[in-house]
Amino acid sequence: MIAKLMLGLFSGIAFGFVIQRVGATDPNRMARAHLMRDADIPRFMLAAVALSALGLFGLQAAGVGRTMVLPISLVATGLAAAIFGIGWGLCGYCPGTTWAAVGEGRLDAVFALVGGLAGAVVFAHLHERLIPLLYDPTNLGQLTVTDAVGSHALALVVVLISLCAGIYLIGRIWKNDTATD
Amino acid sequence: MNQKQREKPGYWNWLPAAFALAGVIVFIFATYGPPASSSGFVSTLKGLWSSIAPGYAQSHAHYRMIPGPGSWLFTFVLGMAMGGFIGGRTFSKPVRDLPPVWRNRFGDSAARRYAATFVGGFMILFASRLAGGCTLGLFISGSTQLAWSGLYFGVLIFGFAMLTARLVYGGVAKEEK
Repeated sequence: MIAKLMLGLFSGIAFGFVIQRVGATDPNRMARAHLMRDADIPRFMLAAVALSALGLFGLQAAGVGRTMVLPISLVATGLAAAIFGIGWGLCGYCPGTTWAAVGEGRLDAVFALVGGLAGAVVFAHLHERLIPLLYDPTNLGQLTVTDAVGSHALALVVVLISLCAGIYLIGRIWKNDTATD
Repeated sequence: MNQKQREKPGYWNWLPAAFALAGVIVFIFATYGPPASSSGFVSTLKGLWSSIAPGYAQSHAHYRMIPGPGSWLFTFVLGMAMGGFIGGRTFSKPVRDLPPVWRNRFGDSAARRYAATFVGGFMILFASRLAGGCTLGLFISGSTQLAWSGLYFGVLIFGFAMLTARLVYGGVAKEEK
């Protein structure tokens, strides 16, 4: 139990340090990424996913670790993504970066964190009403790309190619022009 | 100062940083399972409820499905704050409470910025709890597992955030210093 808590703490410290160092905890850089003027943050995110997918494939081949796929609900996941995207575009923080940015000493992140706690309180209070209404009717289950293409290895290749295409396009289309601050 | 000169005081390049983060993520899959951070908010709240209103959390399904503060989920977000602290303390550039791009658009009012981040924070957590995860717990964790939920969520959050940033910042982002 203590070992699990220490693993969480250690993982969090490493994660928080890396996202601080790449600039993902800076809402100015996040806003510029959304305005297509800083290509590094979105490329960093997509590359991290691609490399993690490759690493997880290796773990699974070795029979190590634990996976848990969240189901896709067309309405709930889509609506949540819209609300999330608007909030993210407005404040420049996502749930994980608020914690690291608070640690970094950003006062506006403290308000984002407190707002986040309030948002979680409100959703948790309404969970019993909203999940049957929004989530369950269009819940398609724990679908993965493997279900669509038939092979785990082929699914990995498809996802990696898509992510690399995304990274390439962001590098071409985003301006990445001026000083970041 | 030369405007063309890109100034990134000590920031890591995106590709090596992606290797570093992927190393952490794969370590987490190996030692715990899919990483998540919005669940840490619920763990925190579960701890708060147990001290101010015992019984409230147990009577609500959302708290029953997430462990309280004595869990990996909570120590992970706590660690994130510590990692951010260590990162910030060893970084050459001081933090600002008002991002320059924000100040160019909305001026020097800190209250306005704090109100906006409170509202933004509210929205991202409300939405994450509805979807079952956030940028990390759904987009990154899900896509790493090749899940449609993570890929679907990821495409849409980027799209909506980009549209929102255009509406919020308008054209002023061009003149930022």
